[in-house]
Amino acid sequence: MLKVDGVSKSFGSVRALRDVSLEIRRNEVVGLVGENGAGKSTLMRILSGTMRPDAGELSVDGRRVVLSDTRRANEHGIAMVFQEQSLLLNMSVAENIHLAQEKQFTRLGLLARRRMIEAARVHLAKVGLEVDPTVKAGELNFAARQMVELAKALALEERTDAPLTILLDEPTSVLEAKDIDVLFARMRSLKSRASFLFVSHRLDEVLAISDRVYVMKDGMVVAERASDASTVPDLHAMMVGRDLHSEYYREARQAPPQGHVLLEARGLSVQGIFRDVDFALRRGEVLGIAGVIGSGREELTRTLFGFLPQTAGSLHVDGAATMLRSPSEAVAAGIGYIPRERRTEGLVMDLSVAANVTLAKLDVAMSHGLIAHARERAIAADWIRRLSIRTPSSAQVCRNLSGGNQQKIVLARWMTARSHILILDHPTRGLDVGAKEEVYDLIRDLSAEGIGIILTSDTLEETIGLCHTILVMRDGAITARFDAAAGAKPTQVALLEHMV
Amino acid sequence: MARSAAAGIPVTDAMERLRPFAPLLLLLVLVVGIDVAEPGFASLTTLSVVLSDASILFILSAGMTFVIMLGGIDLSVQAAASFASMVLAILLPSIGYAAFPAAVLAGLVAGLVSGVVHVKLRISSFIATLATAGIMTGLSLLSADGRTVAFLDAGRDQSQWITGAWLFDIPNVILIAALVAGFGMVLQRYTRFGRYSTAIGAGEPAARAAGISVDRYKILAFGLSGAFAALAGVLLAARLSSGSPELANQLLLPTIAAVVVGGTAITGGVGNIGRTVVGALIVSIVRIGMTFVGVDIFAQQIVFGAALVLAVCVTIDRSKIAIIK
Repeated sequence: MLKVDGVSKSFGSVRALRDVSLEIRRNEVVGLVGENGAGKSTLMRILSGTMRPDAGELSVDGRRVVLSDTRRANEHGIAMVFQEQSLLLNMSVAENIHLAQEKQFTRLGLLARRRMIEAARVHLAKVGLEVDPTVKAGELNFAARQMVELAKALALEERTDAPLTILLDEPTSVLEAKDIDVLFARMRSLKSRASFLFVSHRLDEVLAISDRVYVMKDGMVVAERASDASTVPDLHAMMVGRDLHSEYYREARQAPPQGHVLLEARGLSVQGIFRDVDFALRRGEVLGIAGVIGSGREELTRTLFGFLPQTAGSLHVDGAATMLRSPSEAVAAGIGYIPRERRTEGLVMDLSVAANVTLAKLDVAMSHGLIAHARERAIAADWIRRLSIRTPSSAQVCRNLSGGNQQKIVLARWMTARSHILILDHPTRGLDVGAKEEVYDLIRDLSAEGIGIILTSDTLEETIGLCHTILVMRDGAITARFDAAAGAKPTQVALLEHMV
Repeated sequence: MARSAAAGIPVTDAMERLRPFAPLLLLLVLVVGIDVAEPGFASLTTLSVVLSDASILFILSAGMTFVIMLGGIDLSVQAAASFASMVLAILLPSIGYAAFPAAVLAGLVAGLVSGVVHVKLRISSFIATLATAGIMTGLSLLSADGRTVAFLDAGRDQSQWITGAWLFDIPNVILIAALVAGFGMVLQRYTRFGRYSTAIGAGEPAARAAGISVDRYKILAFGLSGAFAALAGVLLAARLSSGSPELANQLLLPTIAAVVVGGTAITGGVGNIGRTVVGALIVSIVRIGMTFVGVDIFAQQIVFGAALVLAVCVTIDRSKIAIIK
């Protein structure tokens, strides 16, 4: 039995885990659910040995253990199957399964390949995957790779006497329905030889496969339930943990859009990804796109900013047909983009606040063809004041600022560039509650100024709360369109019906 | 993180603050050290020799600084310099002074071609510039059957603006290098090109997502590197009164060393042209100083290699770099 007792973990001022306790019994499948930022991933990292807790204890079968790295976690029977699969695609299946564990097959420093391949065959049989262990992992599809990962985790049986616990982080997010069924069937049959901790956003799946479920919120375990005594709405209410009051999303400030169409898509398509997307974004409108991973919504937002050029249909900016072949063309057309990956795509972390603010339109800080540093500082200082960005000065390097403040700098950049269409790609990801609320306020401010916003979000609740109109996508096509005027919001269940 | 843990210890903290000045300190230590070992080094005459040597090296490194800051490398600088010397020597008799800009233009075009190959064909700059270097060397060799082309008397006269010393006996080469340094500093600090180069080097995805035409600025940086390399080749040719296909051989590594020793990170993002001035001086002083104090010519390479490792170690905090390639 794996036991977590009073574990806490902080990153700077953010408390990712607070006094978390839970246990995984032998031959049990335990579900772990929570919103993004609830602390699930941090807990998984601590259990898999890639991160150390600040406080608290872990124990296996009543004996305290310290999981200082992955290898140590493995010795205690804990193995992780990663969300962003961890196989080395240029190596064979057998080599992957035994990666860093080749010692058992070496004699006089040489590797007995045949024995290694035979051993891999045994592990693959456990998960019912019929592939040749000598093929490269890269030649397998996602579902098969996931099974190889599982086989790799099960290979631990040979090396440790500890009971096996396998951590599955969002294993179904990249799988199709039939592959999910296969995965679940394997998990049920493997329950006799291992326990599982299963993390997923899909609550129905969690209830279907788990014996018990832990619900996390804001870094704490807020509930523990037997699966057969819970429902999806129950879990959801506990995850959100507050009454859905309209004030949270500043619904009172949601004014109807003002007519003039800023951005229009007609039959917009990208070959093999999404097709026939139609919408019209008006001044002051917040248009949400909802859909699960693989629905094409992420790619649609990338297309609207020129990252992924369209292959059919047309885009019209202010009524003029526009072809966006690169982000620079999108910026020239007046479109701004607040990316999901703030640290890599949002800001140049090692440049100053001022340089990041003017990055999309350096002209505003130039005179006689040269950069006027004093003017640039003044522009940045103005935004620092207007958006209450907490930074010692405009010369501060962005890396040292908090996520919420970084997000405001990205926004200040697009305001400086006078973008009148903004694409917000998961704008509140990784922000704490206070910073999220500031972003919601800013979105209402932008709307009031007549800026059109395209929004994708981590939660349906946020999408519904913030948007005027919601498009629902499934398998690359729009399946529904909801009007979400203030006071007449659609329900999550209504949207979900069209998503899956 | 290691950084925050280290910040609590005053000694490390002080070292962190001193780090940007390490190359300058190293330069001072070298000058004083050599002068103590062999009095007379810190004289005006030697200084003039060192600065002239450093000038050529600096101009070669100036364009390279931008390329490295962008995260690339230009292995074609020595080939471009030699190529420019041939263009100059061949054209001087027929077109006179116009041969100087023509030679620089040849380097610019070659650099732009490297840039286009690198960016548009998506070939790493290492390979792209190695290839253009080969092509330029081949053209240099073919143009005069592999021979050196000496300037005529008229050519020597026309090179006076390089070989002369018009201001207080300071060799003009040094003044030209000073102009290039000033130009580079303005370019870096006050122009769109400079700002975008820094941004691309420090975070290319973010620069792209801000709407910067990353490809265009990369190509420009390679063009700049080619043009500066050609200018260095022109200066070298004027000093030797001849063009040669092998004129700048042996200068590629000192050029890269000058950029890196100055404190520009080979991984991109961090760096500036001022640092390269210091780097070029350090490399020149190590080279000339060793001869001055009588280090065996063969042993000089050993000292040079050791000095390079030492300089890079002290100028950049290696602990912040996750993966060393």
